Amino acid sequence: MNTHIYRVVVRSQISTGRLLAWAGLSGVAILLAFVARVADDPVEVATRSMGVFGTNIFAPFIALALGSAALGNLVEDRTLVYVWLRPVPRHRVATAAFAAVLSVVGPIVVAVMTVAAAITGVDDLIVATAVATALAVFAYSGLFLALGLRFKRSLLIGLGYIAIWELLMSRLGDWFARLSVRSYPMSILSDATDVSMRLADRSTLASYIVPLAIGFAGLIYTSWRLTRTEID
Amino acid sequence: MVQATGVSKWFGDLVAVSDVSFSIGAGVTALLGPNGAGKSTLLRMMCGLAKPSNGMVTVLGKNPRADVAVLGRIGMAPQQESLLDYLSGREFVELAAQLHQVDNPVEAARQAIQTVELDPDDPRKLSTYSKGMRQRIKLAQAIVHDPLVIALDEPLTGLDPRQRREMIQLFHRLGAEGKCVIVSSHVLDEVERFGSRVLVIAQGRLAAEGDFREIRNLMDDRPLRIRIRTDQPRVLAIALLDRGVISGCRLEGAEIVDVDTTDPALFRRAVAPAARDRDASLLEVRPLDDDLESVFRYLVGR
Repeated sequence: MNTHIYRVVVRSQISTGRLLAWAGLSGVAILLAFVARVADDPVEVATRSMGVFGTNIFAPFIALALGSAALGNLVEDRTLVYVWLRPVPRHRVATAAFAAVLSVVGPIVVAVMTVAAAITGVDDLIVATAVATALAVFAYSGLFLALGLRFKRSLLIGLGYIAIWELLMSRLGDWFARLSVRSYPMSILSDATDVSMRLADRSTLASYIVPLAIGFAGLIYTSWRLTRTEID
Repeated sequence: MVQATGVSKWFGDLVAVSDVSFSIGAGVTALLGPNGAGKSTLLRMMCGLAKPSNGMVTVLGKNPRADVAVLGRIGMAPQQESLLDYLSGREFVELAAQLHQVDNPVEAARQAIQTVELDPDDPRKLSTYSKGMRQRIKLAQAIVHDPLVIALDEPLTGLDPRQRREMIQLFHRLGAEGKCVIVSSHVLDEVERFGSRVLVIAQGRLAAEGDFREIRNLMDDRPLRIRIRTDQPRVLAIALLDRGVISGCRLEGAEIVDVDTTDPALFRRAVAPAARDRDASLLEVRPLDDDLESVFRYLVGR
């Protein structure tokens, strides 16, 4: 990893709009936690809230906003040349960008969702939420980092992917669910509280390995793409 | 230092560069050509930013596309104005120095920024920089690591005359230090002031190459079409033909004759006396194809 590129990418990620989006989504997470706390069946409501909001909405949308922009913005405003022209192996560029995305998205999503899980009062959910959202962040960040480098309108494409594939198509059957990222972290939450949720029936091993594999695949693709792409 | 062998580059059906071969050594070399001629594409291939569709480009004997290490010996200022706008000028140049693993990036950045006549202590973000300042900071990041090959894409755009003069002096200084400085431009007079070796690129092809004076002579030798508006076009055209000043003519109306000459200087000296001798009034004399495009078209079609 190249620490200079890491710092530049981290710096490029912070904007007022993103901070507002993060604050808004964080507020919703905390609100949902309080609702779950006073529900008749707090375990079930809390598990579903953390699963549906944390791994289906909060993690993918924040990872999309920051992941697709990490290298995607450099491509779109034609400044990638100032990174690419340097004698830095491409896998280090990709790793620095990935680490930058994780170090911004991770604390935001994982910390907020873990606090929200604690607010629900369901003790079994706290560690599970931290782990599940961390894995979701890892997978989505790798995926959207690669997407940002590959496509010019990556934010739109990513939104389409989340809405159409992750939120709709994944409901069509088990094979579709297996190909959606969200079913794996949701399974971790389901395992922790024994609350049955749709899509959340992946094996424990798969629930941990598949999100990691997706994140690393995104990183590898990004490295490969950086060596092949023509810089404008 | 830079070698291109049978290099072509196409984007779908569009041929940007076609079978170009050349070799560039130390000193200042100008890439001259109209906009869209393929200059930027050639520079991008020299710096490894684009892969030739055919042929090969080597820099210091290495393929810059495949060998990341050789990028440490190359400095480039691309044509686009966009910069990492959230950084200050010094941070931007320091980043370049750090990524090139320069021993003292802070001091190297200061020196490079001073070399291009900017203030290294200016805390402003690049987003506030004027076009001229952007050009100069791009140049600073290109030279901060003391590269052997420096590729500059239209680096004088947006600079005022004094800054241009200073930058041209800098190019000469770098060239005299044994560096290979390649500067692209579409402005003939600008390239003349480089006083350097010139590669003329037109329609993706290498139209001419050599010392600037050779290129200038080639350009001056081309037939020039001139429009004369006079009350006696036929009489004046015959007079100019008789004196051997023009090689052909065409009447274009009651007051207009277009003439071809291969010696514009002789034409300039002869046209007024010829008109006076025949009692013809000269109403207008203007070249029809003196723009740079026509010069390049001529060179390509030679």
